[in-house]
Amino acid sequence: MTFAATYRLGTRLFWRDRGMLVGSVVTPVGLTIGMPVLMRNVAPEGVAAATQVFHGMIAVVLAITTFMTTVVTLTMRRDQLVLKRLRTTELTDGQILAGQLAGVVTQTVLLVGLSTLAVRVLAGVPLPANPPLFAAAVVTGAVVMALLAAAYTAVIPRAELSAAFAMPVFLLAGVGAGVMGPIPLPSFARTALDLLPTAAVADAVRHGEVLAPVLNLAVWTVIGVVSLRLWFRWEPRRSSSTS
Amino acid sequence: MTAILVNTLRKRYGAFEAVKGISFKVPHGQIFALLGRNGAGKTTTLELLAGFQRPDGGSVRVLGLDPVSDRAAVRRRTGIMLQEAGFFPDLTVRQTVDIWRDFTSAPRPRDEALELAGLGGKATTRVRQLSGGEKRRLDLALALLGRPDVLFLDEPTAGMDPRARLDTWQVVRELAGQGTTILLTTHYLEEAQRLAHAMAILDEGEIVAAGGMAETLAGLRGRVAFRLPAGVGPGELPLPVTFDGELAVCRAGDPDLAAQALLSWAAGRGLRLAGLEVRTATLEDLFLDLSGSGR
Repeated sequence: MTFAATYRLGTRLFWRDRGMLVGSVVTPVGLTIGMPVLMRNVAPEGVAAATQVFHGMIAVVLAITTFMTTVVTLTMRRDQLVLKRLRTTELTDGQILAGQLAGVVTQTVLLVGLSTLAVRVLAGVPLPANPPLFAAAVVTGAVVMALLAAAYTAVIPRAELSAAFAMPVFLLAGVGAGVMGPIPLPSFARTALDLLPTAAVADAVRHGEVLAPVLNLAVWTVIGVVSLRLWFRWEPRRSSSTS
Repeated sequence: MTAILVNTLRKRYGAFEAVKGISFKVPHGQIFALLGRNGAGKTTTLELLAGFQRPDGGSVRVLGLDPVSDRAAVRRRTGIMLQEAGFFPDLTVRQTVDIWRDFTSAPRPRDEALELAGLGGKATTRVRQLSGGEKRRLDLALALLGRPDVLFLDEPTAGMDPRARLDTWQVVRELAGQGTTILLTTHYLEEAQRLAHAMAILDEGEIVAAGGMAETLAGLRGRVAFRLPAGVGPGELPLPVTFDGELAVCRAGDPDLAAQALLSWAAGRGLRLAGLEVRTATLEDLFLDLSGSGR
């Protein structure tokens, strides 16, 4: 009952926050549908280009709707002392975090699903050849990105800085997935970008790969869980002078 | 039986030792006040009792359980009102209580919790529109949702107006009457004096005074204060006095008796003791004595 309760709380507050919705839903959905539609109409190999871009855009959705939303809401609730209040309830720390993260993961999956249908209709992007693999990649990718986002909040000093701290992750994910246009990169940078969890999801979705993405996401999961356990902060840093 | 047990508890933050080996216990159904100035270690002690942090030394037990390793079990039977905790500002009072009921195993009905905390009329108000005192009432309503056996209240009436404060005291007394054990921190000494059965005063992380409230107060000296009549030296008075500005102050175990002695001495000389004030001992006297003793 308790995990479900935080899940409902997270989801309910997500859809109430109009400002957040623009950033975490409207913009990414607009881009995820708009870019492939644009490609379909301007590129010579319309459908192929649209498909290429759409698969890359999934990485961007993971970076914005999953990662940035999690980073922003968790640091905000941490700084507003809402997380601290949640810890006075019967919920365990794990349930509090899992509930919040599961809400974000659901929203991500819904948005990707919606975009997949929209680009099929509007840009002729074929539906996933292997739907279970596609779904598994998106869900797992969202879970890993949400987990990493929660861990990442430890380095963010104040809630006002959370969007700025999430920005580099968005840029790396976008460049890595090739949706920022052709950017000449040295090979070591290319290799590094390919190690991002978003790249693993794009690989699975694009090329139907399984083994490499599974390994990649497993390693990132371990990194996320270990950093959460070591460094996650439930309340803002306090000065040593408070009692 | 002991509901709360604190045994040589220590906690440090870097080089700062916030709590330096304190011990106390609270029997079932009692109200215990933890007093002290800002930074004395009250909130740290409360957070250790709530299981938010691990002690660096010593131990705490709530209902016989370790609040860190048995947090879930302890939580089902405790209510916590933190000094500072956030709400979702855009939710109404009613929505907030409903959400929190979702997190509680056997919650009170929403309206009962709101009535208890005196928020019955504010159910549809958004949290951001509540005054500071009303937010404290909402804090209290949430802390009481699970019908706790043990209640931790950190500065429960801070920011409340006098009416709200009296209401809250009444609720706290009724809960204790029904068997709830209550540990409260406050720097309103009157609040502690009126409510608590026992208390401990913390200063720089150590307990500097502790005991039953009635016995502690009985052991304190009350005071008689007045303006010394013109032309009278302090040596002529029947009782020794000290000076607080232009007021002569006589400290006595029984201030009524001291006042009678002073008044009959004055009447015998045809003098008036202007501005006469007789006061039995209060916690404040103890508090000021302690902080005046070089600490």
